[in-house]
Amino acid sequence: MTARSRQGALAVASALAVAWIVFALMVWLFGESPLVVGRLLFEGTWGTGYGAGQVLFKATPLLCTGVAVDLALRAGLFNIGGEGQLAVASLAVALVGARVGGLPSWAAVPLLLLVGAVAGGAWAAPPALLRARFGAHEVISTIMMNRVADALIGAAFGAGLAVAGSVRTEQVAESARIGRLDLVAHAFAGSAASFAFLVAVALAVAARWFMRHTRVGREVALVGQNAEACAAVHIPVRSRLAFALVASGAAAGLASAGTVLGYKGYYEIGLGAGAGFGGIAVALLGRSSAVGLVLAALFFGTLQQGGLAINAHVPREAMDVLQGVMILAVSLGDAGVRRALAGRSAVGVTA
Amino acid sequence: MTSPNASAGDGGSTDPPALRLVAIDKSYGALRAVHDAELEIRCGSLHAVVGENGAGKSTLLKVGAGIVRPDAGQIWSFGVREVAYDARRAQALGIAMVQQHFALFEELTALENIIIGHEPVRAWRAVGGIDVAMATERVLAVLQELGVQLPLHAKVATLGVGDKQRLEIARALYRDARIIILDEPTAVLTPLEATALYATLRRLVGDGRGVVVVTHKLDEVETHADVVTVMRRGTTLATRPVRHGEEVARLGGELVGGEPLPELRPRPPLQAHEAGGVRLRISELTCGRGLRGVSLEVYAGEIVGIAGVLGNGQSELIRILGGLLEADGGELVTGTLEVVHEDRQTTGLVLDASVEENLVHGQLARFSRWGLVDDARVHAEAMARIERFDVRPRTPETPARALSGGNQQKVVIARALARDPAVLVIAHPTRGVDLVAARSIHEQIFAAAARGTAVLVIGADLTELRLLCGRILVMLRGRIVATLPPSADDATLGAAMLGRDAGASN
Repeated sequence: MTARSRQGALAVASALAVAWIVFALMVWLFGESPLVVGRLLFEGTWGTGYGAGQVLFKATPLLCTGVAVDLALRAGLFNIGGEGQLAVASLAVALVGARVGGLPSWAAVPLLLLVGAVAGGAWAAPPALLRARFGAHEVISTIMMNRVADALIGAAFGAGLAVAGSVRTEQVAESARIGRLDLVAHAFAGSAASFAFLVAVALAVAARWFMRHTRVGREVALVGQNAEACAAVHIPVRSRLAFALVASGAAAGLASAGTVLGYKGYYEIGLGAGAGFGGIAVALLGRSSAVGLVLAALFFGTLQQGGLAINAHVPREAMDVLQGVMILAVSLGDAGVRRALAGRSAVGVTA
Repeated sequence: MTSPNASAGDGGSTDPPALRLVAIDKSYGALRAVHDAELEIRCGSLHAVVGENGAGKSTLLKVGAGIVRPDAGQIWSFGVREVAYDARRAQALGIAMVQQHFALFEELTALENIIIGHEPVRAWRAVGGIDVAMATERVLAVLQELGVQLPLHAKVATLGVGDKQRLEIARALYRDARIIILDEPTAVLTPLEATALYATLRRLVGDGRGVVVVTHKLDEVETHADVVTVMRRGTTLATRPVRHGEEVARLGGELVGGEPLPELRPRPPLQAHEAGGVRLRISELTCGRGLRGVSLEVYAGEIVGIAGVLGNGQSELIRILGGLLEADGGELVTGTLEVVHEDRQTTGLVLDASVEENLVHGQLARFSRWGLVDDARVHAEAMARIERFDVRPRTPETPARALSGGNQQKVVIARALARDPAVLVIAHPTRGVDLVAARSIHEQIFAAAARGTAVLVIGADLTELRLLCGRILVMLRGRIVATLPPSADDATLGAAMLGRDAGASN
């Protein structure tokens, strides 16, 4: 186990090195000095309290969706429906949030977290059932549900769910908002980081705990490794698969805590978009450990925030390229590192 | 059949060997599969490589076939040292290997499988038209040389194991293989099929080709091989010509470490089983074309065997009993039932999970309260099972993948027997398991029966079935066609397995 995590850390470290080389090259091609831009990147993110707070803010939804993708991956499922699950959950949270004015904060916020999780889980339920019942591939059905979510939300806004003349919902009740971190930590002053980041961290820890200490979690992981062997000992494979995908949707839905409750205070079309796919990168980099997922979310949050900081010198899309390079390098690094540690054994193929 | 233990390979020939492996080392991570191994393969000789499971036989021969690249060592061919030896080079030298898991395209015909990659092409080459007539002619010539027949236009998926094996050999020959290596070729064959296979191999040797057979069946070595190499713990101990007599006992001693082979423990006498009553009753079980009405009963404390050529409905029966397959009809009456499935690596174990997790796989509910797993209890139980079933190493955190075949099987059996089930159904109890582990598994089966468990053994190894069982049922084409005592000889059992009268098969 320790050997494996060391191997993982090595893969990530080498991926980071590759990513930075690509970054430097890219900056140089834009005619800028990698050193200067690198410094800007650092100062715009971790260099100031504001920058660091913005990184936490960007990392919050990514951490939730990263946990979501990771949960599904453990069961051997690929949930690429985080986008739709988060959108539907955000809408549900915003709609319910506007109607809980009578509740105190300690009741309203947990209730809305629950609403987000349930809505996200519900949006993952059709693919989960299709998978469990008919073996329909979840990659197809979850991505399809993303489009269905887009279309439905658009139609619902058109039909009067939105504030007149806009593509946003009403404001949620003040008691339903999640507070900004700078209320207690003045270093983050001005940044959009909220206590939702702690919710996301708690989610990562809880997911890890669940997978390790509960019977259902352990069985989900075993199903992910060998479903046939699980069926042979009468573990209900289908329901474990369905559970994992619904739980994954629920985790993705919780990302609405950061976007709706912690930031905007309402839902508008496009809010949180990209976090669902970003979660795939976080999960690949985070390697199924709570700490790893948090670090991965912070890393990609840094890239997102850093893109804004260097935009004057290098287009911030450079950060998207960097993100792509990271994912590629990690997946390649995995195989490469494993082979290197196994003693450079090149295995031929029978002709 | 007379044994043609020829003089080849006993020092009489001084030509350089077709393939010579020198000081081969190969490790997989921490596992040293082969260490300082030597092997000389000559044309015109049937060479057996024997050893326990995990002795490194397959790995060494995969090195010989260029499939696995060794960490260290030299490879020589006809006196020339090979550099950059790989599968392509091996093929060019005429060295082919038939692996345990056949590399065939199930959806293509037998003919297509033989010629694939080396199809004779018509004149308009660019279009890639395959010259079917020419291909058929060449394949028929190969089959004639082999002395076998194959349904060339049947899809491979419809062929039996024996045909698939002949197909692999035919393909090697079609590609002009001079050395053919077979990994455990008889593991999946009936005694009659095995005899036929060796007759085929003998023809190839007679034509001046070299044949290498990896096996752990010592009687095959004695009957059929010219030369034998013994491997133990990754290294080659000795290579020598095979002579009659004492060979089997001596080889057996070498296999397990120089000590004489422990006596096979006879089956302890079992109580009059009617006393305990029927624990497993199957009546008229049907399932597609696999099962056409199987009925049987197993009493408490009884061990009943099912013999048969693989593919006659055994898999369906096991999977139905294990709940992995729905029967079409029939009745099944049983108490608590545990099934040890045919393939322990895919169905029996979660290979990447730890031994501990595998030992309690599917039983976590018993170690949980409010859905939370009590790890201390799981650990204690796993340790107890490791002790009781002698699983090695004694480390519950080891991934199941790292265990030897025998210890993997012990884990599966430990899980199945942990709660004294009313019925144990066990497929191929010691397939791919070394002798020492096999003995321990047999004792666990006897002990379970002595505690009143009804045991149904589905097997291919007749020696093992005789050793274990009080009754042997023979399964053919989805039915039980005969019930024989364990004293029945190979000819009688084999005839029943093929649906012939005992007198008719020689």
